[in-house]
Amino acid sequence: MKDIFTIIIRLTVSCILAATVMGSAFIVTNKAKKHNEHVNEQKVRYALLGYSADKPIPDSMALHEVYRYIVSDKQSQYIGYLLSGKEGFIFLTLDLSGKVIDNKSVEVDEAKVLEKEERDKVVNGIVGAGKDAKFADQTIIVTNNGERIAYLLDGKFTGFKTFIGVMLATDPKFTLLGLEILEHEEDPGLGAEIEQDYFRNQFKGKTFEQLKDLDVVKEPLPDEYFQALEGDIAAEDAAKILKKYGDKDIYALTGATISSRSVNNGVKSIVKKFAYRLNILDTALAEQKIEVAF
Amino acid sequence: MMIRRHFTYWTAVLLFILAPVLLQAAELASGQKFGAENEIILTYHAPVDKTTMQDGGMYTVFEESDPDIRLEVQKVGISGDGRSVSLLFAEPLNTAKTHVVSIRDAGGAEIESLKVAKSYIGYLLSILISALLVNNFVFTKYLGLCVFFGTSKRKTTAKGMGVVFTIVMVASALMSWFFYQFILIPYGLNFLQIVVFIGLVSLTVQAVDTILRKVNPILFNSFGVYLVLVIANCVIIAVPLIMANNNYSVFETFMLAFGAGGGFLLALYLMSSVRERLELANIPTTFKGLPIAFIVAGQFAMAFLGFSGLQLF
Amino acid sequence: MANDKSSMQLIARGILSENPIFKLALSMCPAVGISTTVINGVMLGIAVLFVQVFSSVTISLFKNKIHPRIRIPTYTLTIATWVTVIDLALAAYLPEAYAKMGIFVKLIVAFAIITMRLEMFACKESAQDSFWDGLGMGLGFLVGMVVIGLVRELLGSGAILGYDVLGFKPLLFFILPSAGFFVVGLMMAFFNWIELAYKQAKGKK
Repeated sequence: MKDIFTIIIRLTVSCILAATVMGSAFIVTNKAKKHNEHVNEQKVRYALLGYSADKPIPDSMALHEVYRYIVSDKQSQYIGYLLSGKEGFIFLTLDLSGKVIDNKSVEVDEAKVLEKEERDKVVNGIVGAGKDAKFADQTIIVTNNGERIAYLLDGKFTGFKTFIGVMLATDPKFTLLGLEILEHEEDPGLGAEIEQDYFRNQFKGKTFEQLKDLDVVKEPLPDEYFQALEGDIAAEDAAKILKKYGDKDIYALTGATISSRSVNNGVKSIVKKFAYRLNILDTALAEQKIEVAF
Repeated sequence: MMIRRHFTYWTAVLLFILAPVLLQAAELASGQKFGAENEIILTYHAPVDKTTMQDGGMYTVFEESDPDIRLEVQKVGISGDGRSVSLLFAEPLNTAKTHVVSIRDAGGAEIESLKVAKSYIGYLLSILISALLVNNFVFTKYLGLCVFFGTSKRKTTAKGMGVVFTIVMVASALMSWFFYQFILIPYGLNFLQIVVFIGLVSLTVQAVDTILRKVNPILFNSFGVYLVLVIANCVIIAVPLIMANNNYSVFETFMLAFGAGGGFLLALYLMSSVRERLELANIPTTFKGLPIAFIVAGQFAMAFLGFSGLQLF
Repeated sequence: MANDKSSMQLIARGILSENPIFKLALSMCPAVGISTTVINGVMLGIAVLFVQVFSSVTISLFKNKIHPRIRIPTYTLTIATWVTVIDLALAAYLPEAYAKMGIFVKLIVAFAIITMRLEMFACKESAQDSFWDGLGMGLGFLVGMVVIGLVRELLGSGAILGYDVLGFKPLLFFILPSAGFFVVGLMMAFFNWIELAYKQAKGKK
């Protein structure tokens, strides 16, 4: 009987000790984690737009986030957009066929909007009781002196093993400017090659029309094309070769056709869905004469 | 008298079972499924009016997760008896996602909304097959190798280890699911995953140990030794982590755990069959024991690569 | 395992005569699973080293306070705590490397080698010796991972630490996942062969 008490006491003490260690580790690292994630995100975004630490983006450029929410009540669903207006944020609610239901300006700090939990709270406060808003995705509209120059799109789709997370950049006509693989768990040596330049860069420069029926071909990648994609040769020659292969489909990775195909389909559907939505959003904004920052 | 009472009793039960079926009869459609890659097929209880039903504008179709993106119905085909309608789309559908088809009358009011999805049982079985063969934990994810090489010398040991492991795996995975869904997520304690999951595993092992010792000492004598080894097997902690990553439901977790356990048993059995024979073979001295076992395992791993991309459902 | 062993001897034992990968054949999962490049091996090796050293020292410090009947749960709790700490730290400070190692960092909690060292060594010896023993075992694991990673990276992608050395890719097979088994098996055989040849040479003299 005495044993039981000593066991209980000692286990409790060790659990408390362990909890203290883990708790403090969590508190210390959580801030750094969020900061690093943010920095990393910025780096990927700038890289996709062709800027880096050596070549910072000009002051005239601005990145505007557009957050999409699915708002649902008992009977039906709506789409809500949280976007930056000329002054402060706007929350715009559209019904499923694109008609504007509601348009509210939102008083909120920009720092709060960047944090997902805080933003969700704010949005749920706006839609009111009885309605539930669920975060769907975020896109970034890049402007230079007020003119739109690019879109940055996030996406996640099933790969061969688990999920593949990507970020891609398109110009205002939805021509692809670049593709970055953020996370994946494909096999090393096979599917993991999706993150290599010679695969990713094949998507560069594909126009929206091309993208609509872009396919994956099971053919060996020509040597000169490979070198041009990897950036191994002089920029002028590379540009010529890239132009020559510009209207070709995507060459599948050796031994990883399924991974190649899922990236291709994923990219296609992200761009197509975005183009569809942006069209509806722009029409709605124009009809209502809502002034936005982009 | 008795018979009569039984009769009413059974009628009530029968009515209760049939109730959903009878109620559904009031609605228009009786079935919905994916056809060819760009086709959804709807079946109706009674023949429908061909001219009204052929109007593509009657149907709005979208993926459940993207309600604002309408899929364009290109063509509507009706079978000869007028009871089956096929909707053809301009582009192939993503059949992995649930699609919603809503049928509207001329005024635009919704008559009925149907959900089209691959069958859930098929999905569950695909998780099982995936954990068992396609993503076999030993041969394609390289987990649980220490125990794998330690206990695959004899077929009897292999079987014992595999069975004990499967039982503990399923029990601890279900408990982990419960803790993850109802404690870790609601209270934002996700960073405690590792401690909670490993704690539950040791708890299960201890419980099985105690119960088996009391209830069936004979069984305990033959299987008890493997219980301790279960804790040292990475698969047992990998399954709850995968469950948490993919946010599986309780049935999906069960299938994953069962598949993982079964896959481990399968791998152990295959390996032990080979190793029993290897003992009789003439192997260079430097390769005796573990080195040759690793090479055999490598060959199995290559064979299991052949399952990749396998999709039954 | 007497106390008179020096720190150097304890470390050397972990790396050579009781190398956790090649000799004890424990903690094989990462040795096969993510040893495709040297850098992966180094990262996971450091994580294991950290967990091993800290758990050994913790257990050794509290060895008199641990009730023998709850020995195993206490070990598990200790290891799980340190694994959580390193997991959080890696995710925060080295997100890219962490993404490559995936689930394996969390799986350190189930590595047989760590529990074994706690049971065999740390719960009997002083904190100082446990520290050296943990360091030795951790280094042994690190060295094993690096050696396997070196072979696979050189033969599979013709590079070392990401730098192209050979200029071509000799055998893609070696970075394919299943090749991990072959490389580990062949290297074990190689070490056996050296040992055998060494013994024979000694015998002739």
